[in-house]
Amino acid sequence: MNIINLVIDDKPISAPEGTNVFQAALDNNIYIPGLCYHPKLSQFGGCRLCYVEVTERKRGGHRFACAHPVSEGMIVKVNTPRVLRYRKSVMEYLLAHHELSCPTCDKSGECGLQNITYEMNLAPGRFRTVRMHHPVIRDNPVLELNRNRCILCGRCVSACKEIEGVSAIDFQNRGFKTVIGTAFDRPLECSFCGGCVAVCPTGAWQDRTLGFKGRSWEFTSTPTICPYCSVGCTIVANTKTGSVRRIVSDDRLGINEGNLCVKGRFGHEFIHSPERLKTPFIRKNGEFYPATWNEAIDYVSKRFQQIIGEHGGPSIGGIGSERCTNEDNYLFQKFCRSVLGTNVIDNISNMKSPYLNRLMYQTVVHGMATPSLKELERADILFFFGTDVTEAHPVAASMARKAIRLNNANLIIANIRNVQYNSTAKNDVRLPYTLGSQSAVMNTLMKVMLDEGLVDVKKAETATDHFHEFCSALNTVSVAEASQHMGVPEETIRNAARILARPGRCHIICGKDIEEDPSGEVTIQSVLNFCAFINAARGGEGKASILFSRAHNNSQGVNDVGVVPEFLPGYLDIYNASQREKVEKIWGKKLPESLFRKETMNIIDLALNGKLKAFYVMGENPIVTYPYGKDIREACKKLDFMVVQDTFLTETAQLADVVLPTVTFAEKEGTFTNMGMTVQRLNKVIQPAGEARPDWEILCELAKRMGRPFSYLFAKEILQEIGSVSPVYAGIQYDRLKRKEFHWASSFSHKKAPTKYTFEIARHERPAVATRKDFPYLLLTGASLNHHGTFSRHAKALTEIAPECFVEISKNAAHEAGVQSGDMVTVESMQNKIKLKARVTDTIPEGIVFIPEDCEWIPVNLLRNKVYTPVKIYKESA
Amino acid sequence: MILPLLKGLTLTLSRFLNPKTCATELYPEERPKLSSRFRGLPELQIGKDGREKCVACGLCAKVCPSQCISVEGAEDETNRRYPKTYELDAFRCIFCGFCEEACPVRAIILRDTFELATYENKEVFDKERLLDLTRKRNLPR
Repeated sequence: MNIINLVIDDKPISAPEGTNVFQAALDNNIYIPGLCYHPKLSQFGGCRLCYVEVTERKRGGHRFACAHPVSEGMIVKVNTPRVLRYRKSVMEYLLAHHELSCPTCDKSGECGLQNITYEMNLAPGRFRTVRMHHPVIRDNPVLELNRNRCILCGRCVSACKEIEGVSAIDFQNRGFKTVIGTAFDRPLECSFCGGCVAVCPTGAWQDRTLGFKGRSWEFTSTPTICPYCSVGCTIVANTKTGSVRRIVSDDRLGINEGNLCVKGRFGHEFIHSPERLKTPFIRKNGEFYPATWNEAIDYVSKRFQQIIGEHGGPSIGGIGSERCTNEDNYLFQKFCRSVLGTNVIDNISNMKSPYLNRLMYQTVVHGMATPSLKELERADILFFFGTDVTEAHPVAASMARKAIRLNNANLIIANIRNVQYNSTAKNDVRLPYTLGSQSAVMNTLMKVMLDEGLVDVKKAETATDHFHEFCSALNTVSVAEASQHMGVPEETIRNAARILARPGRCHIICGKDIEEDPSGEVTIQSVLNFCAFINAARGGEGKASILFSRAHNNSQGVNDVGVVPEFLPGYLDIYNASQREKVEKIWGKKLPESLFRKETMNIIDLALNGKLKAFYVMGENPIVTYPYGKDIREACKKLDFMVVQDTFLTETAQLADVVLPTVTFAEKEGTFTNMGMTVQRLNKVIQPAGEARPDWEILCELAKRMGRPFSYLFAKEILQEIGSVSPVYAGIQYDRLKRKEFHWASSFSHKKAPTKYTFEIARHERPAVATRKDFPYLLLTGASLNHHGTFSRHAKALTEIAPECFVEISKNAAHEAGVQSGDMVTVESMQNKIKLKARVTDTIPEGIVFIPEDCEWIPVNLLRNKVYTPVKIYKESA
Repeated sequence: MILPLLKGLTLTLSRFLNPKTCATELYPEERPKLSSRFRGLPELQIGKDGREKCVACGLCAKVCPSQCISVEGAEDETNRRYPKTYELDAFRCIFCGFCEEACPVRAIILRDTFELATYENKEVFDKERLLDLTRKRNLPR
C-alpha cells in the first residue's frame, strides 16, 4: 500500500493511500470537528462540519475532510477564518432544530453536538428556532428514539446495516420531514445490539437500562470482559456509588472494536438482582438456613473429610465452571486433585464433547488454529460449519461481516437449519445438509477438490503423512450419491469446493451442531483433514485455520487449566508420569498413582452408578445444562452430600446441602479465555454483594480448613502459577494483560514449529436415528441470542425482550399438527414432555424441530437422550 | 483628655439610646431583617404540578465546591426525569449559591433559613425536608 505524505495544520503526516483526510487527522491526533464520520462505518458526509481548506496540486479549495481522500503534497488547513465562519453557521442550523434538553438528556456530557457547541462558544443563533415535536418512541425495553434530538448524521443507519446486518432503521421521508425510523413506523424488530446507541453523536438513541440513573461525568469507567458468550468482548462498566449503572463499549479496547450484542450491552442488571445469594446456606432437616462463612466452611470441610475417610477421595466428584475465571478453575482442579484426592473432575463442555480438547489441541500443534478471533476481520473465505453465528456469537458475526464488507470475503454456511446471516457477500453459498451427514459434507468437498485438480498433490504429499491412503479412501466417495444423501444440489457443492480452494485466508468456524453431535468426533476429525487438505490445495498461498466455537465465556479456559479428567493444566497428559512430575513439583505434593485410573464413564454416569458420594459444583448449573436431564437428576438424588457455589439459587443449588455465595464477573479479578484462545483480563468493577466471595478465596479457605493451605493472596499469584505449570500459558503476565491480551495459540506456535499433519481416515458410520412413527420429528437444540445461562435469566432487560422460550416448527409440520405461530404446544419425547410457544418458520427443514437451550427456566434437557431425540408435537386440547 | 472621650461617647450613647439607630436585634423574639440577597439554606422549589421542579440533572452536585449535594435521578411512569433522592449535607454547605446559579430550571434557591443548629452530629437534608421548607412558605399565614 502506498504511503501518502501531506500536511495538516502545519504538521507533516503520512497516511496510507485511500484514507480520507478526516481519518488521517484522527490517526495523528489532529482534531477536526465532525458528527457523521465514524472510523468503523462507511463515510456518509451528512453533517457538513468537517469543512477544511485544501491545497493540492497548487490549487486551493474547500472540501469536506471525511469525503476527500489524501493525496501527495496536500496541504490542509483546519481553522482558517472562512472555515470557522462556515462551520459556525452549520452549527447554527443544527441547533435551530435541536431540542435543547441537555439537563434531562442522558447524553449530556458525552454528546458530540454539545461538545462542539461548547468549544465553538456558540450563543443562540441568528435563525428563528423551529423545534420539532415528534413523540419519543419507546416500543421496546432497551432502546429509546427521540427524533427531536436527531441531527440526521446517519451513523445509526450505517451501523445497523454494516455492522449488525439488520437494516432495521433507515431515513424516512424527504427534506425537512426527514426522520430516522423503521419501515412503516412498526415497532423496532432487530437484534437490539445497541450499536445505534453507541455511535449516536447526540442523545437521539438512548439506553433505557440507564433510565436517568446517573450522568456521564459521575461515572467511573472500568473496562472488563463480558460474561456471556465465548467471543470475550471488552465492555466498559459505568459505575456510580458502587453500583453498575450501564455498560458501554470502547472502540479502542479489546477485540470487538466497540461492537456488542444485546446481552453484553443491556444484560447487566443481574449484578444487582435482589435474588443474588448473599450469605452461605446450610440445609438442615430439608430446609435452607442462612449460616456464617465460618460455619459453612467448617461444615463442608468436616463432611468432605468424613466422606474421604469412609469411601476415599475418588468418591467425590468436582464440576468446574465454564463461567468462572481461569484462576478459579485452576484452583478448583488443584483443590480436587491435591486436597480432596480425586481425579473425578469435569466441566459441562467436556462432558458434552469429550473428544474436543484432544482435537482442538491437535489443530494448535499442527498450526491450524486461528491465532485470534480478530483474524476473522481479515478473512478472505469464511466457512461456518454447523454454527449459527448470528445467534451464538453475534460479535464474531460482526467481525466476519467486516471481512465481507472490506475484504470481499466469500461466505459458505453449512448448517442443518437455514440460519440467518445478513451480509453483502458476493458469494454466499449455503449447504443445508441433513442431520447425520456432517462428515459427508467435508468428504465430498475434498473429493470435488481432488477430482477437479484443485489440490497441489505433490506439495501435499511432502507436507503431510498418509496423503495417498487418504486420497484413495476419498475415491470411494461419489459426489452424486453424497449430494443426494446430504440433500444439497451437486453444483452447489462443487461451487463451494471451488471457492474454498481459492487462495487467501480461510477461516472455518466449527459450531455446536458439530461438536455436540453423537458423531462429532468423526466429523471434527474430517474437518481437521479438510483443513490440512485445503492448506495443501493452496500450496502455501494463505492458510486455512479452524476455530471451535465454545458455549460460555470461559469454556475454553476451563479446559485449558485442566478441569478435565484426562488433562492436567495446559493439556499435559495425566497418565504420563513424567509430565505429571513437573506439576507435582510445583504443587509440592505427590499425587497417588491410584488417582489416575482411566475411567470410561463420565462423572454423571459414575454418580448414577453409585460410585460417587459427593459433588462439589462450582459456578455451574448441570441440572439444566447437562444434556441428559433424567440422568443428572437421578445422579444427584444418589449423592450423600452436594456443595454448590453460585451467584443465584439455581436448580442445582436448590438440591444442594450447602450453598456458598460467589461473586459475578463484575466483582472479581481474573482472566477469561475466549474461543479464539485469547486470554483477557477482568477488572474488579464493584465490591462483592453481601457476604459473597470470589470462588478462589472460598477454595483457599476450604483448603486451609482441610489442612493443606494454599498461599494465594491475589488472583495474580494464581495466574503466575498457571504460567509456570501449563505449557500453553507459559510466558503469561498478569500486569501485561491489562494493556494487551495474550493469544496462547499463536504464542505456542511461535515457540514450536507446527508438526507434520497425519491424515486419519475417519470412518463414518451413520448414527442410528431412531425414526418412530409416533415420534416423527428430531429435536435440535441450539443457542439463542437473547439468553445465555443463569445471568441472562436475572437480567431484567433481556427477559423483557425475550420473555418466553419457543419451539421452531416447519410449516408442513405445523400444518399437520394444526398449530399456528404463538400457540402453546406440547413437545413430547420418550423421556418427558414440556409445553412451549410455537413459532412456525421456514428456516428449518422438514422432520426437525428446534428449541433454544439457553433459556434456563425451560428444562429442554429433560427431553433429550443420548442420540438424536425423536419428539412429537401436538396441541393440547383444552 | 477627657473631653474628646466624652464627645465620642455622646455619639455612641445617642445612637445607642435612639431606637431607630440601635443595632441590637432582639433575636429570637424579633426576626432579623435579612437582605433579599441573603444566602441561607438551599431549598427545593415546587412546580405548578405540585411536584419538585428538579429534573435531577446533577449540575448542582457537580458545581458544589464543598460537594455537599448528591442527586440520584430516576424515571417515573410518565418517563419524566425526577430526583429519586436529593441529599444536602448542611454541615458541609458553605452557602456559596453556586447550585442556584447552575440550576437550569430554578429548582434550588438559597432563601433565608439560617437556624441550622442541631443536637445531632449529622444534618443531612433529604428531598422531602428540602421541599418542606418551600411547602411551609407557601402555606397561608
